[in-house]
Amino acid sequence: MTITESPVVPAPRGSHRLTTSKAMVEAIELEMERDPSVIYLGEDVGPYGGIFSSTTGLQEKFGAERVIDTPISETAFIGLAIGAAVEGMRPIAELMFADFMGVCLDQIYNHMAKIHFESGGNVKVPMVLTTAVGGGYSDAAQHSQCLWGTLAHLPGMKVVAPSNPNDAKGLMISAIRDDNPVVYMFHKGVMGLPWMAKNARATDDVPDGDYTVPIGKANVVRQGHDVSIVTVSLSVHHALDAADALAGQGIEAEVLDLRSLVPLDRESILESVAKTGRLVVVDEDYLSFGMSGEVAATITDVDPGMLRAPVARVANPDTPVPYAHGLEYVVLPRQDRIEAAVHRVVKA
Amino acid sequence: MTEVTFPALSKDSPTAEGVVSTWFVSDGEAVQVDQLLAEVQVDKVAAEVPAPRAGVVHLLVGEEATVTQGTPIARID
Amino acid sequence: MTTTAHDTPRVIAELDSATRLGLYRTMVLARTFEEAILREYHADKGPGFDIGKGLVPGEMHLSSGQEPVAAGVCANLTTDDAVTATHRPHHFAIAHGIDIDKMAAEIFGRETGLGRGRGGHMHLFDPVTHFSCSGIIAEGYPPALGQAYAFRAKGTDRIAVAVTGEGAANQGAFHESLNLAALWKLPVVFVVEDNDWGISVPRSASTAVASNAARGAAYDMPAERVEDNDVEAVYAAAGRAVARARAGDGPTLLEVHTLRLLGHFEGDAQGYRPELAEVPGRDPIPEYEKRLRDVGLLDDAAVAQTKKDAHERVEAAITFAKESPVPDPTHATSYVFA
Repeated sequence: MTITESPVVPAPRGSHRLTTSKAMVEAIELEMERDPSVIYLGEDVGPYGGIFSSTTGLQEKFGAERVIDTPISETAFIGLAIGAAVEGMRPIAELMFADFMGVCLDQIYNHMAKIHFESGGNVKVPMVLTTAVGGGYSDAAQHSQCLWGTLAHLPGMKVVAPSNPNDAKGLMISAIRDDNPVVYMFHKGVMGLPWMAKNARATDDVPDGDYTVPIGKANVVRQGHDVSIVTVSLSVHHALDAADALAGQGIEAEVLDLRSLVPLDRESILESVAKTGRLVVVDEDYLSFGMSGEVAATITDVDPGMLRAPVARVANPDTPVPYAHGLEYVVLPRQDRIEAAVHRVVKA
Repeated sequence: MTEVTFPALSKDSPTAEGVVSTWFVSDGEAVQVDQLLAEVQVDKVAAEVPAPRAGVVHLLVGEEATVTQGTPIARID
Repeated sequence: MTTTAHDTPRVIAELDSATRLGLYRTMVLARTFEEAILREYHADKGPGFDIGKGLVPGEMHLSSGQEPVAAGVCANLTTDDAVTATHRPHHFAIAHGIDIDKMAAEIFGRETGLGRGRGGHMHLFDPVTHFSCSGIIAEGYPPALGQAYAFRAKGTDRIAVAVTGEGAANQGAFHESLNLAALWKLPVVFVVEDNDWGISVPRSASTAVASNAARGAAYDMPAERVEDNDVEAVYAAAGRAVARARAGDGPTLLEVHTLRLLGHFEGDAQGYRPELAEVPGRDPIPEYEKRLRDVGLLDDAAVAQTKKDAHERVEAAITFAKESPVPDPTHATSYVFA
């Protein structure tokens, strides 16, 4: 059972069921209707609607001037989005797979993320960089990465990763309205695509109309007192599945969906672990030098005495994602590994 | 009573099988005309199934169950 | 088919019967392999389409229709020459002489595969034939430069062939590679397979010039464009480029207008492609078969034999793959470092 925090809405409203991808598209549609300076550019975002259905139907509605297919020139079109943002537009640029960041990282971390700082706050870059992340469907080493740890590590850009339709819509609206560059990382496995195995929570009731979900605020999606499972994106679903199984064994797990990595809601992490004393971090990015270590440090920086057991980190090992299905499913941090980690920290 | 059938997405094979990938409405829900009922998939083609009319929808197949094209997947009273 | 080093003709021969039949057989073998993979890929994804399901899960980019480029280019090479290919690599792998059993096993994710099941179909590495491929657009070009550089440093006349699609010609690495190869006169042949489509985006919507051969001039590099997916024209043009590289006269840019018979990947419904109905009619293999029949080089018996040989070879590879063990899960983190 998912307990979602109520989005910030001014009046009672209806709702309708959407997959995460349709919720993301609806958010972009609402903002494009409201603000003519919002444009979406990327590869295959026009008639194709995005390789992972990030822009389905948008070009039909808004035309090729506002939903734009680009050449395979990430440095050029992401750079173009930066310049347009500097001059007052609100562009959304899509990096088809986060794994492709290598070809355009300079524009992202040296320009998009630093212009506001280098200008002493005088120049803003109000853009969104959307990108598909994640594995689990045999797309191998160069097409299965999450890499939020890498982007979150570099100062100057907000980083969000919704796990469900409600947050996908609200965070996208927040991201577009934010005057800062926001990297919006959507896991292919949460999109609810008809051609990829999906979790039941990929479809949910979503409020009609526009609403925002705050960037930088985590969400307790399941309350519990025995252990805090802190995670993001698709792993939230695996954590909830694990929590259901653990409840049957008398262990009540609290699941904290970070939703944002930058800013990181350290308060919510501390609050949860203060209550449970035990921390399991689940991270589909590589283990070392990343998100899971940062969550652990959030506790130890403040009060390691809070912990009644060492922190358990359930992450992809420091290994490229293997192609063979059996190998891939060993490296992914899925339900079985999460359950085992909870047992380890609860017994310690 | 109006039947909603699984669309014929495969032109080569009229009796091709597919799945209802996602139901966007619940059994017994009141729906409007053109409201999105389901997303279905046959082989490489996905399609949305809108409500042909307003009324109360009853779901006849579950998500991910195998369905032959042309089979009723819901009815609207 | 790429010959082995010791019997390589160093002089580019005229298009004799043996060469022509060799081109035909290579194309038939490559196509037969793709059709077998197509069959195996879709056999167990249903009833809808679950990309992660089955014996060959994940993305699949098949090269059907583009065989003339691989056959025409690789017939000028030996297995001592390097080939770097793209996410759509199988035809070049086969034409260059890779072990088909091990390639099939890699595509099936088995321990006996070229990458022990770790790489998959977009990441095929074969040190024996100096073949490699990568899934990041245009990023196969720079390593090819390095292979060419090393071959020259060792005092050989071996060359590197670097393959991309036409969409890649708009990526930074493409341009850096062309400039550096031209500047340092590296023994490289740059091959661009223009199949009209970068996934769903036509060339007219991505590229400022009508032909990427025009871009050779920007780097003071000889460039040619071959039309009509013509395997013999590819062979001749590649022959000129290969000769130039071997003679130490530097790189060439060779663009071939070819045909993507299938979708960008399997599962691509191609709703964006208006000319879809006429695509099968442009299949280059029946066209070349007809040409060879017209000059008496092929008849029903020869065609049947070629197809039978290809079928047997490919099915043996598929069987080898299916009977091979899956990798041991306790070694999932092996091979990160030497």
